[in-house]
Amino acid sequence: MLKNMTLGQYFPGDSFIHRLDPRTKLMATIALIAIVFVSQGFSGFLAIAAFVLIAAASTGIHLKFLFRGLKPIMFIVIFTFVLNLFFQTSGTELLRLGFLRVTDQGLRMAGFMAVRLILLVVCSQLLTLTTSPIALTDGLESLFRPLEAIHFPAHEIAMMMSIALRFIPTLMDEADKIMKAQKARGANFETGSVLARAKAMVPLLVPLFVGAFRRAEELALAMDARCYRGGKGRTRMKQLKYGTIDLLAGLALLLLLAAVIALNALGAF
Amino acid sequence: MSNTIIEARDVCFSYEGSGALAVDHVSLSVEQGEFLAILGRNGSGKSTFAKLLNALQLPTSGTLTVNGITPSTEDDCYEVRKSCGMVFQNPDNQIVTTIVEEDCAFGLENLGTPPEEIRGRVDDALHSVGMSEFAQASPSMLSGGQKQRVAVAGVLAMRPRIIVFDESTAMLDPIGRRDVFALARRLNVEEGITVVWITHFMEEAALADRLAVMESGRIALMGAPREVFAQADRVLALGLDVPEMMKLARMLKAGGLKLPEGLMTVNEMAHALTRLRKSGGRPCSAPESAGAHAPQPEGDAVIDVKHLTHVYLPGTPFEAKALSDVSLAIRSGEFVGIIGHTGSGKSTLITHLNGLERSEPGTVFVKGRDLGEKGADLISVRQTVGLVFQYPEYQLFEETVAKDVAFGPSNLGLDSAEIDRRVQRALSQVGLNAQEVAEKSPFELSGGQKRRVAIAGVLAMQPDILILDEPAAGLDPAGRREMLELIHGIHESGVTVVMVSHSMDDVGRYCDRLFVLNRGELAYSGTPEQVFLHDQRLHEIGLDVPECAKLARMLRGAGFAMPEGIYRAQDVCGAILNNLSGEVSGDA
Repeated sequence: MLKNMTLGQYFPGDSFIHRLDPRTKLMATIALIAIVFVSQGFSGFLAIAAFVLIAAASTGIHLKFLFRGLKPIMFIVIFTFVLNLFFQTSGTELLRLGFLRVTDQGLRMAGFMAVRLILLVVCSQLLTLTTSPIALTDGLESLFRPLEAIHFPAHEIAMMMSIALRFIPTLMDEADKIMKAQKARGANFETGSVLARAKAMVPLLVPLFVGAFRRAEELALAMDARCYRGGKGRTRMKQLKYGTIDLLAGLALLLLLAAVIALNALGAF
Repeated sequence: MSNTIIEARDVCFSYEGSGALAVDHVSLSVEQGEFLAILGRNGSGKSTFAKLLNALQLPTSGTLTVNGITPSTEDDCYEVRKSCGMVFQNPDNQIVTTIVEEDCAFGLENLGTPPEEIRGRVDDALHSVGMSEFAQASPSMLSGGQKQRVAVAGVLAMRPRIIVFDESTAMLDPIGRRDVFALARRLNVEEGITVVWITHFMEEAALADRLAVMESGRIALMGAPREVFAQADRVLALGLDVPEMMKLARMLKAGGLKLPEGLMTVNEMAHALTRLRKSGGRPCSAPESAGAHAPQPEGDAVIDVKHLTHVYLPGTPFEAKALSDVSLAIRSGEFVGIIGHTGSGKSTLITHLNGLERSEPGTVFVKGRDLGEKGADLISVRQTVGLVFQYPEYQLFEETVAKDVAFGPSNLGLDSAEIDRRVQRALSQVGLNAQEVAEKSPFELSGGQKRRVAIAGVLAMQPDILILDEPAAGLDPAGRREMLELIHGIHESGVTVVMVSHSMDDVGRYCDRLFVLNRGELAYSGTPEQVFLHDQRLHEIGLDVPECAKLARMLRGAGFAMPEGIYRAQDVCGAILNNLSGEVSGDA
């Protein structure tokens, strides 16, 4: 069960997108999401989709991974589609099912919302596929650093995220071991009522938590021993630096924004 | 005096809320460039003393000066930690980031070192510990020994003058242990770094410049390893051990041989014995024709493994063969050992023996039942085959010891009177006083006691076969001896025992038969005598034969008549005395 869980979905690579500064990628993703909302028609979506697909293709990652992230939200997409389809009642009627009316405007709205959702997910998917969790953490820390002036704990949050990333595989391993050990003592995690199964988790969760606290204490000591004193006065070996490619990425996004606004203005479909 | 780098005067320390002194009036000084080993039972104050050296704790009284600083403020502590690095016991719990080189940079980043300088120092440090090729790797993919080397690199990058190793080899297999110790020794000799090496392993302590033995927070013995170990009775009484050759030397002296004092290593002993032997014999070496697998002894197998193959994460980039065509049989009432280094497939093998894992191809029969069959009653299999994992104390979860031990039996659906009876019996089997501990929380107990409770939890299922994965791991020498005696007792009571271990000494002492795994394959099997014949090959795959077996081989090479595969101290002693009967002084 635990073996099927993978951490993040980062695909290592050396493409244009991979080499972008994580901050650029974070901001670009936010910008892309904004552009998706700016677009008022399918032609705009088409432009955005073309942009994302070209970007994705350039990374060398198989497109199926780009769409794999859609699976968990497919239900929401369908739900939104159906809701819009039946509750947008203005426009010409296309179909009547009892008291439900499907109109041309309803169909357009339903499709519009569904495509918008799909695009939003695919955009963020592109970010997580091409950026390692650690680079994401660094990027977030750096972007939020100015907020430290108003006591926003950017460094602390980033450090917590990075430690979490470090210990998730270790703790999963440990959970697997404890589970086996309790099974060897006749524990049953798989069958029984929901309540029985929840109760069966106690012998797994208690040692797991006790272990996690023990590890946390030891790690804190090890960090102290290596002179950790919080973010103040800390330097980083790897400095984030914007390069020409980041500028190019920004320009590409501006072009896309311009195209979408133009398509909106033209009133294209 | 100018060369003294650590100076402790009447240092005391007690933890908050505890009246007892964890460190009790310790005075010692360490010279620049020295390699000091500290031995002592669990709870003797070694680790607390290490934390004082690194200014992770401050003495409650007395003065402790490290590299010229007597820390009192937080800034002083910071300065001490810059010059005195520390490598901890658990390799997993001291690595902070998900990329090796970034972890290595962590300390320097904290010091505010400029990025370009960090880069260079990190590269140097990784090179120095031999981990350059893993700079971009994720620590979770490394072995324990490699992780410890990364931890050393992280400390080294800060250019410390002292490194304290707090039982840094305790959780490693023999290869990892040798590696990390050799690394510390090299940094000491080549870079002049002062090393404080805390350990439970006598063979490591024997190689230090100086040795301190701690007991209840005090320094009980101190001196060169030879001098300390010469007081064997005192050392044993402190819950420690003396190197195997020193024990043998005592036996030989008792047998009338005149040996020089302070023989500690196999080489020294072989040399001394060859000199004693006036009449030179003809050198002969052991025949290398011995087969890898001795024939199976007669008898019904309670566990019969046939052609077992297990592939780890098939169909992914991490695919690896954990077991490859392993066949073995264990008979009722045997005490067998399974040995191999980390990743040799030991743990995978034992989880197949009670149906926790099932693999194709291959079959596992327990008492004639095929575990791979559909609808096999696995609960009853797990009742028959008890499995105690490594560090089993980390699986305790109940409010009281009695409830925890009762977990297994209650899963079997027994009535409460029977469960009570079994809990009592299991606790007494592991040498715990049921009245005393039954109502305590398992988390209040000492490490050794916790482990006993965890073993009791498996024994309470009353298995016919008991499998233990490294039951003595991390225990101090006395705890180790007690644990092995306890398992010996369980075997005597009629339980078939399978013990997984790294230690050839342990399996040689207790097991009837051994199975040696290497890279998922069964490399050797047979009695210890038969297996130890392959000592050179065993050494190559990262396992050592017991020291006495090594000595026997060396002496055979020097012309002594030594029986094949001999490895027990008393046997080796007898054989040596036979060879040297002419040399034994007449008045003995």
